[in-house]
Amino acid sequence: MLLARRNLFRDRTRFVLSVLGVAVSVGLILLLAGYRAGVYRQASAYLDNTPGSVVVAEQGIRDFLGTSSVLPPGALEAVRSTPGVDRVIPVISSFVIFERHERKDGFFLIGYDPAAGGGPWRLVEGREPTADDDLVIDRTTARQHEIAIGDLVTLLDREATVVGLSEETTFWAGSIAFARAATLESLLRSPGLRSFLLVSPAQGTSAEGLVDQLDLAGTEVLLKRDVIANDARLMARVYDAPIGLMVAIAFVVGVLVVGLVIYTATIERRREYGAVKAIGARNRTLYRVVTTQALIAAVVGALVGIGLAYGAGAALMSWRPQFLVAIEPTVIGVVLASSLVMALLAALIPARSVARLEPAEVFRG
Amino acid sequence: MTALTLDVRDVTKRFGDGETAVLAVRGVSLAVQPGEIVLIMGPSGSGKTTLLSMMGALLKPTGGSIRLDGTAISELSESRLPDIRLRQFGFIFQDFNLLSALSVLENVAIVAELAGLRGRAARDKATTLLTELGLAARLDFLPEKLSGGEKQRVAIARALINDPTLILADEPTANLDSKIGHEIMRLLRSIAKEQGRSVVIVSHDQRIRDIADRVLWLEDGAFKDIVTMATDPVCGMAVERERAVSAEKDGDTFFCCSRGCREEFLGGLREDGRADGRQPHGWSRLAGALRSRRRRASTTQSDAS
Ligand SMILES: Nc1ncnc2c1ncn2[C@@H]1O[C@H](COP(=O)(O)OP(=O)(O)O)[C@@H](O)[C@H]1O
Ligand SMILES: [Mg+2]
Repeated sequence: MLLARRNLFRDRTRFVLSVLGVAVSVGLILLLAGYRAGVYRQASAYLDNTPGSVVVAEQGIRDFLGTSSVLPPGALEAVRSTPGVDRVIPVISSFVIFERHERKDGFFLIGYDPAAGGGPWRLVEGREPTADDDLVIDRTTARQHEIAIGDLVTLLDREATVVGLSEETTFWAGSIAFARAATLESLLRSPGLRSFLLVSPAQGTSAEGLVDQLDLAGTEVLLKRDVIANDARLMARVYDAPIGLMVAIAFVVGVLVVGLVIYTATIERRREYGAVKAIGARNRTLYRVVTTQALIAAVVGALVGIGLAYGAGAALMSWRPQFLVAIEPTVIGVVLASSLVMALLAALIPARSVARLEPAEVFRG
Repeated sequence: MTALTLDVRDVTKRFGDGETAVLAVRGVSLAVQPGEIVLIMGPSGSGKTTLLSMMGALLKPTGGSIRLDGTAISELSESRLPDIRLRQFGFIFQDFNLLSALSVLENVAIVAELAGLRGRAARDKATTLLTELGLAARLDFLPEKLSGGEKQRVAIARALINDPTLILADEPTANLDSKIGHEIMRLLRSIAKEQGRSVVIVSHDQRIRDIADRVLWLEDGAFKDIVTMATDPVCGMAVERERAVSAEKDGDTFFCCSRGCREEFLGGLREDGRADGRQPHGWSRLAGALRSRRRRASTTQSDAS
């Protein structure tokens, strides 16, 4: 629609304003969604990157990050000897406060057996822990605390030496650190302690089938993806309300900016729209003019907003590496669609005044 | 009846209800022939615009009927009207009402597109029309860059693009100086005469009456035929000014019933005062119109408004 385009582009300031309105709104929505997705992805990073599709935990424990789990003695052996089990990775997990240069921080400490697996999946510097007081920590955390390989860190009442640095190991509640299982056993004064078993089914056995077979007293057997979902639910309780609210506000602001910009543009050209109506245009035609204006502003704004979100996300991640902003293609689709909804809602604001224009009014001075 | 372009019968328009009701048009009848130019004059607030809006199907009459080429447009439902306005009427407004964001060409072409012409054909048709109207060099201009006369010519092109039966113009010269205004009126006249379209013009500008085939005087919402009348200065007879024999004396124009009276008048056998004394009773408010001051060809008379 030529008239729509011209009416929109003739006034540069207004056009830029409406595009910026949508761009900021869409950018903010994407950034928030990306941040949320990033938080979830970081939180499930350990389980995602460690082999196994079934998790065995203490009875009543259904998540990985929220609570500590203590498996009954003999569980590891029982699982290992269950038919259909191919591989078992036993891990100990504990939330541990550490101290360095008087600064305290939290580690989600994983105790594992390097021979069985379950250690850092992206070791970017140094080596895996081989001795009892060896520790692999997250690289971003190390940078923040000015810890280098070879430095000592106080864990509870012990000292440990940082021997390796890993990546993709920060998350909302801190960062993941890795030590040998034996280190945790003695740190927690619980010899033989195992928190979780990550179990891979043998060929020909499905994860679901394995869950049914692993019927051990005092344990909870879950699909890994259910554990991840439970962890996500835990975070959703913290994150979803504020993020959802901010997304809603950004959306409404976008609708209002586009709506008001198109509305003032319409009111300003009220007489012209009246003349077009007197000449014989139907309301339908005029709706199309204002809707097209809103759609153009929204789509251009959304594209700018996507760029903005990527830029801001990248800037945020390089400034604060512990943040992960994961903008997913599906979210971009949703946001583009929502910008169209934005435009249609925005077009309702001027459409009413266009519909009420009396064609006879154009003759009035 | 088929020979009539527009047939307005006993049309009334009331705005509002009860105490505050305004009867803007009261029982007006008017028939417009094909190719005829009708000028409706009258003081401000007399209902000219209201009447014109009803003739153009922009406003529904409270009473009476309006037929266009035999179709009772005053009875049509609102949803049928846009098409009638688009194809049967060409509107010309006092303040042009061009679309400020569109170029001259686009302003005209978009109206052809509304009527269903595809983009290219609409532009070609608009270009031809604008060229005929002397605007070939202005096609890509924005309206704000045009002079008043050019704007009104664009508006005329826009009114003509869908080959309307009837052109309706409300005060088309009010925002133009008199020379340009006259040009526009002559243009409208040639359109009417050459293309056989009817033209109804509303104005209170006395200077444009000479292009009209018929001049009607609207006052308080009803036609009064007296404005076209003058009094013979010799015999005191009421004469229709358009049909009278005019006489110039001392720079003033007088209207006589016959050549005889004119010659008598120019011979100076009687003094002016006697003619005034013979005015028919009740016409005193038109005293100004009796001796219209007419300088040269263009009329600048003191009128009855
Ligand atoms: N929409 C309206 N509502 C109420 N009164 C109106 C409306 N339009 C016109 N009028 C009244 O009708 C009368 C005739 O107005 P109008 O047709 O504009 O006169 P003109 O064009 O001769 O100046 C005036 O008294 C005016 O106030
Ligand atoms: Mg008027």
